[in-house]
Amino acid sequence: MVLVIGGLAAGKREYVKREFGYTDADMADAALDSRPVLYNLQDLAAKTDKSEEELLALLLQKDVVICNETGNGIVPVDKDERFARELTGRLCIQLAARAEKVVRVVCGIPQVIKES
Amino acid sequence: MRTLVYGGAASGKSEYAEALACAGRAPLYYIATMMPFSEEDRQRIERHRLMRAEKGFHTLERYTNLKDLKITEPGCILLECLGNLTANELFSETGAGEKALEAILDGVFALEAQCHDLVVVTNNVFGDGGKYTDGTLDYILTLAEVNNVLAARFERVIEVVCGIPIVLKEPAK
Repeated sequence: MVLVIGGLAAGKREYVKREFGYTDADMADAALDSRPVLYNLQDLAAKTDKSEEELLALLLQKDVVICNETGNGIVPVDKDERFARELTGRLCIQLAARAEKVVRVVCGIPQVIKES
Repeated sequence: MRTLVYGGAASGKSEYAEALACAGRAPLYYIATMMPFSEEDRQRIERHRLMRAEKGFHTLERYTNLKDLKITEPGCILLECLGNLTANELFSETGAGEKALEAILDGVFALEAQCHDLVVVTNNVFGDGGKYTDGTLDYILTLAEVNNVLAARFERVIEVVCGIPIVLKEPAK
Protein backbone atom coordinates (compact mmCIF):
# COMPACT_ATOMS: atom_id res chain seq x y z
CA MET A 1 0.00 0.00 0.00
CA VAL A 2 1.17 3.49 -0.87
CA LEU A 3 0.04 6.45 1.24
CA VAL A 4 -0.02 9.85 -0.44
CA ILE A 5 -0.61 12.94 1.71
CA GLY A 6 -0.49 16.67 1.13
CA GLY A 7 -2.47 19.87 1.39
CA LEU A 8 -5.69 20.59 -0.47
CA ALA A 9 -5.15 20.65 -4.25
CA ALA A 10 -1.44 19.93 -3.87
CA GLY A 11 -1.45 17.62 -6.89
CA LYS A 12 -1.79 14.30 -5.09
CA ARG A 13 -4.12 12.57 -7.56
CA GLU A 14 -2.16 13.86 -10.54
CA TYR A 15 0.96 12.37 -8.96
CA VAL A 16 -0.75 9.00 -8.46
CA LYS A 17 -1.93 8.92 -12.08
CA ARG A 18 1.47 9.92 -13.40
CA GLU A 19 3.50 7.65 -11.14
CA PHE A 20 1.35 4.51 -11.06
CA GLY A 21 -0.74 4.79 -14.25
CA TYR A 22 -4.18 4.91 -12.62
CA THR A 23 -7.07 6.81 -14.21
CA ASP A 24 -10.04 8.63 -12.67
CA ALA A 25 -12.06 5.43 -13.07
CA ASP A 26 -9.74 3.69 -10.59
CA MET A 27 -10.23 6.32 -7.92
CA ALA A 28 -12.99 6.32 -5.30
CA ASP A 29 -13.90 9.59 -3.59
CA ALA A 30 -14.09 8.77 0.13
CA ALA A 31 -15.92 5.52 -0.69
CA LEU A 32 -14.86 1.98 0.12
CA ASP A 33 -15.52 -0.18 -2.92
CA SER A 34 -13.53 -2.36 -5.31
CA ARG A 35 -11.58 0.50 -6.90
CA PRO A 36 -7.86 0.30 -6.08
CA VAL A 37 -7.33 3.94 -5.13
CA LEU A 38 -9.17 5.83 -2.40
CA TYR A 39 -8.88 9.59 -2.08
CA ASN A 40 -10.23 12.13 0.40
CA LEU A 41 -9.66 9.80 3.34
CA GLN A 42 -10.34 12.82 5.59
CA ASP A 43 -13.93 12.95 4.26
CA LEU A 44 -14.39 9.24 4.86
CA ALA A 45 -13.15 9.69 8.44
CA ALA A 46 -15.69 12.49 8.93
CA LYS A 47 -18.73 10.48 7.81
CA THR A 48 -17.89 6.86 8.60
CA ASP A 49 -19.87 4.71 11.00
CA LYS A 50 -17.16 2.05 11.03
CA SER A 51 -14.69 1.59 13.86
CA GLU A 52 -11.09 2.70 13.49
CA GLU A 53 -9.95 -0.95 13.27
CA GLU A 54 -12.48 -1.82 10.57
CA LEU A 55 -11.54 1.22 8.53
CA LEU A 56 -7.85 0.47 8.86
CA ALA A 57 -8.31 -3.13 7.71
CA LEU A 58 -10.27 -2.01 4.63
CA LEU A 59 -7.83 0.77 3.77
CA LEU A 60 -4.89 -1.58 3.96
CA GLN A 61 -6.42 -3.54 1.05
CA LYS A 62 -6.11 -0.53 -1.25
CA ASP A 63 -3.19 -0.02 -3.62
CA VAL A 64 -3.08 3.69 -2.90
CA VAL A 65 -4.70 5.81 -0.20
CA ILE A 66 -4.72 9.58 -0.64
CA CYS A 67 -5.41 11.95 2.23
CA ASN A 68 -5.42 15.70 2.75
CA GLU A 69 -3.28 16.86 5.64
CA THR A 70 -5.87 18.25 8.05
CA GLY A 71 -3.95 18.47 11.32
CA ASN A 72 -1.96 21.61 10.61
CA GLY A 73 -4.42 24.21 11.83
CA ILE A 74 -6.15 25.63 14.85
CA VAL A 75 -8.16 23.06 16.83
CA PRO A 76 -11.71 23.18 15.41
CA VAL A 77 -14.44 24.48 17.72
CA ASP A 78 -16.85 21.83 16.44
CA LYS A 79 -16.54 18.52 18.26
CA ASP A 80 -17.26 16.36 15.21
CA GLU A 81 -14.59 18.21 13.23
CA ARG A 82 -12.10 17.70 16.05
CA PHE A 83 -12.84 13.98 16.18
CA ALA A 84 -12.63 13.58 12.41
CA ARG A 85 -9.29 15.37 12.39
CA GLU A 86 -7.92 13.13 15.15
CA LEU A 87 -9.23 9.98 13.45
CA THR A 88 -7.72 11.05 10.14
CA GLY A 89 -4.36 11.59 11.82
CA ARG A 90 -4.40 8.29 13.67
CA LEU A 91 -5.38 6.37 10.53
CA CYS A 92 -2.59 8.04 8.56
CA ILE A 93 -0.02 7.14 11.24
CA GLN A 94 -1.11 3.50 11.17
CA LEU A 95 -1.27 3.37 7.37
CA ALA A 96 2.16 5.00 7.14
CA ALA A 97 3.62 2.42 9.54
CA ARG A 98 2.45 -0.40 7.25
CA ALA A 99 2.86 1.28 3.86
CA GLU A 100 5.75 0.31 1.63
CA LYS A 101 5.92 3.91 0.54
CA VAL A 102 4.71 7.25 1.92
CA VAL A 103 4.76 10.35 -0.29
CA ARG A 104 4.03 13.94 0.71
CA VAL A 105 3.10 16.06 -2.28
CA VAL A 106 4.02 19.75 -2.02
CA CYS A 107 3.18 22.09 -4.93
CA GLY A 108 2.85 19.04 -7.14
CA ILE A 109 6.32 17.84 -6.19
CA PRO A 110 6.44 14.36 -4.62
CA GLN A 111 8.59 14.07 -1.53
CA VAL A 112 9.14 10.42 -0.59
CA ILE A 113 9.24 10.36 3.20
CA LYS A 114 9.28 6.58 3.58
CA GLU A 115 10.34 3.82 1.25
CA SER A 116 10.97 0.23 2.27
CA MET B 1 21.32 18.15 22.90
CA ARG B 2 18.24 20.29 22.43
CA THR B 3 15.59 19.04 20.02
CA LEU B 4 12.43 20.70 18.77
CA VAL B 5 9.77 18.25 17.57
CA TYR B 6 7.20 19.88 15.28
CA GLY B 7 4.00 18.45 13.88
CA GLY B 8 0.27 18.81 13.35
CA ALA B 9 -2.57 17.36 15.39
CA ALA B 10 -2.49 13.57 15.53
CA SER B 11 0.78 13.45 13.59
CA GLY B 12 2.54 11.06 15.97
CA LYS B 13 4.83 13.78 17.32
CA SER B 14 4.30 12.92 21.00
CA GLU B 15 5.15 9.28 20.62
CA TYR B 16 8.23 10.17 18.60
CA ALA B 17 9.31 12.78 21.15
CA GLU B 18 8.90 10.31 23.99
CA ALA B 19 11.12 7.78 22.24
CA LEU B 20 13.70 10.50 21.69
CA ALA B 21 13.56 11.59 25.33
CA CYS B 22 13.91 7.99 26.52
CA ALA B 23 17.23 7.84 24.67
CA GLY B 24 18.42 10.85 26.70
CA ARG B 25 20.18 10.74 30.03
CA ALA B 26 18.13 9.71 33.07
CA PRO B 27 16.34 10.86 35.09
CA LEU B 28 13.52 11.55 32.66
CA TYR B 29 11.10 14.38 33.34
CA TYR B 30 7.85 14.97 31.51
CA ILE B 31 6.51 18.49 31.86
CA ALA B 32 2.80 18.38 31.09
CA THR B 33 1.23 21.72 30.17
CA MET B 34 -2.32 20.79 29.31
CA MET B 35 -4.97 22.32 31.57
CA PRO B 36 -7.92 19.94 31.71
CA PHE B 37 -11.11 21.91 31.00
CA SER B 38 -13.41 19.15 29.78
CA GLU B 39 -13.95 15.42 29.77
CA GLU B 40 -12.39 15.34 26.30
CA ASP B 41 -9.22 16.97 27.73
CA ARG B 42 -9.14 14.48 30.58
CA GLN B 43 -9.43 11.60 28.11
CA ARG B 44 -6.60 13.05 26.03
CA ILE B 45 -4.40 13.44 29.09
CA GLU B 46 -5.19 9.87 30.12
CA ARG B 47 -4.33 8.58 26.62
CA HIS B 48 -0.94 10.30 26.79
CA ARG B 49 -0.42 9.06 30.35
CA LEU B 50 -1.01 5.46 29.22
CA MET B 51 1.26 5.99 26.20
CA ARG B 52 4.19 6.92 28.42
CA ALA B 53 3.40 4.54 31.28
CA GLU B 54 6.39 2.36 32.12
CA LYS B 55 8.76 4.60 30.19
CA GLY B 56 10.06 5.92 33.50
CA PHE B 57 9.11 9.60 33.32
CA HIS B 58 8.59 11.77 36.37
CA THR B 59 5.53 13.80 35.39
CA LEU B 60 5.46 17.45 36.44
CA GLU B 61 2.22 19.30 35.69
CA ARG B 62 2.99 22.93 35.03
CA TYR B 63 0.66 25.20 33.12
CA THR B 64 2.51 28.53 33.23
CA ASN B 65 5.68 30.18 34.51
CA LEU B 66 8.19 27.44 33.70
CA LYS B 67 10.94 29.86 34.69
CA ASP B 68 10.40 29.07 38.36
CA LEU B 69 10.32 25.31 37.94
CA LYS B 70 13.18 23.68 39.82
CA ILE B 71 14.49 20.34 38.58
CA THR B 72 16.21 18.41 41.35
CA GLU B 73 18.66 16.32 39.34
CA PRO B 74 19.79 17.15 35.77
CA GLY B 75 18.69 14.58 33.20
CA CYS B 76 16.43 14.66 30.18
CA ILE B 77 13.39 16.91 30.05
CA LEU B 78 10.48 16.42 27.68
CA LEU B 79 8.29 19.52 27.47
CA GLU B 80 4.84 18.81 26.02
CA CYS B 81 3.75 21.08 24.46
CA LEU B 82 4.31 24.68 23.40
CA GLY B 83 0.84 24.91 21.86
CA ASN B 84 -0.78 24.47 25.25
CA LEU B 85 1.83 26.51 27.09
CA THR B 86 1.29 29.42 24.71
CA ALA B 87 -2.49 29.31 25.20
CA ASN B 88 -2.01 29.15 28.98
CA GLU B 89 0.42 32.06 29.11
CA LEU B 90 -1.74 34.18 26.81
CA PHE B 91 -5.20 33.43 28.09
CA SER B 92 -5.23 31.82 31.55
CA GLU B 93 -5.52 33.65 34.87
CA THR B 94 -2.04 32.62 35.96
CA GLY B 95 -0.54 33.44 32.55
CA ALA B 96 1.76 36.30 31.58
CA GLY B 97 -0.77 37.82 29.16
CA GLU B 98 0.94 40.43 27.00
CA LYS B 99 4.33 39.19 28.16
CA ALA B 100 3.58 35.61 27.09
CA LEU B 101 6.38 35.40 24.53
CA GLU B 102 9.04 36.36 27.07
CA ALA B 103 7.55 34.07 29.72
CA ILE B 104 7.58 31.07 27.37
CA LEU B 105 11.11 31.65 26.11
CA ASP B 106 12.51 32.42 29.59
CA GLY B 107 10.83 29.25 30.78
CA VAL B 108 12.46 27.12 28.09
CA PHE B 109 15.84 28.78 28.70
CA ALA B 110 15.51 28.01 32.43
CA LEU B 111 14.87 24.35 31.60
CA GLU B 112 17.90 24.26 29.29
CA ALA B 113 20.07 25.29 32.24
CA GLN B 114 18.77 22.42 34.36
CA CYS B 115 19.18 19.39 32.09
CA HIS B 116 21.53 17.50 29.82
CA ASP B 117 18.98 16.84 27.10
CA LEU B 118 15.85 18.77 26.25
CA VAL B 119 13.06 17.69 23.91
CA VAL B 120 10.37 20.28 23.23
CA VAL B 121 7.18 19.34 21.41
CA THR B 122 5.49 22.06 19.43
CA ASN B 123 2.54 22.38 17.11
CA ASN B 124 2.04 23.18 13.49
CA VAL B 125 -1.15 25.28 13.57
CA PHE B 126 -0.20 27.37 10.57
CA GLY B 127 -1.68 25.44 7.68
CA ASP B 128 -5.42 25.95 7.63
CA GLY B 129 -5.44 29.36 6.01
CA GLY B 130 -8.46 30.47 7.99
CA LYS B 131 -9.61 33.92 9.04
CA TYR B 132 -9.00 34.43 12.72
CA THR B 133 -10.24 36.55 15.58
CA ASP B 134 -7.66 38.84 17.21
CA GLY B 135 -7.12 36.45 20.13
CA THR B 136 -6.52 33.47 17.88
CA LEU B 137 -4.21 35.47 15.64
CA ASP B 138 -2.24 36.54 18.74
CA TYR B 139 -1.92 32.90 19.64
CA ILE B 140 -0.75 31.86 16.19
CA LEU B 141 1.80 34.66 15.93
CA THR B 142 3.16 34.06 19.45
CA LEU B 143 3.55 30.34 18.86
CA ALA B 144 5.17 31.00 15.48
CA GLU B 145 7.71 33.32 17.10
CA VAL B 146 8.48 30.80 19.85
CA ASN B 147 8.93 28.07 17.24
CA ASN B 148 11.23 30.20 15.11
CA VAL B 149 13.41 31.33 18.03
CA LEU B 150 13.80 27.80 19.37
CA ALA B 151 14.39 26.26 15.94
CA ALA B 152 17.23 28.74 15.37
CA ARG B 153 18.67 28.07 18.82
CA PHE B 154 18.34 24.29 19.20
CA GLU B 155 20.78 21.82 17.65
CA ARG B 156 18.09 19.64 16.11
CA VAL B 157 14.64 20.22 14.62
CA ILE B 158 12.44 17.35 13.48
CA GLU B 159 9.05 17.48 11.83
CA VAL B 160 6.82 14.44 12.33
CA VAL B 161 4.40 13.59 9.52
CA CYS B 162 2.16 10.51 9.86
CA GLY B 163 4.56 9.25 12.52
CA ILE B 164 7.53 9.63 10.16
CA PRO B 165 10.38 11.88 11.34
CA ILE B 166 11.66 14.40 8.80
CA VAL B 167 14.91 16.09 9.80
CA LEU B 168 14.72 19.86 9.27
CA LYS B 169 17.93 20.70 11.10
CA GLU B 170 20.78 18.53 12.31
CA PRO B 171 23.57 19.19 14.79
CA ALA B 172 26.64 20.70 13.14
CA LYS B 173 29.29 18.03 12.68
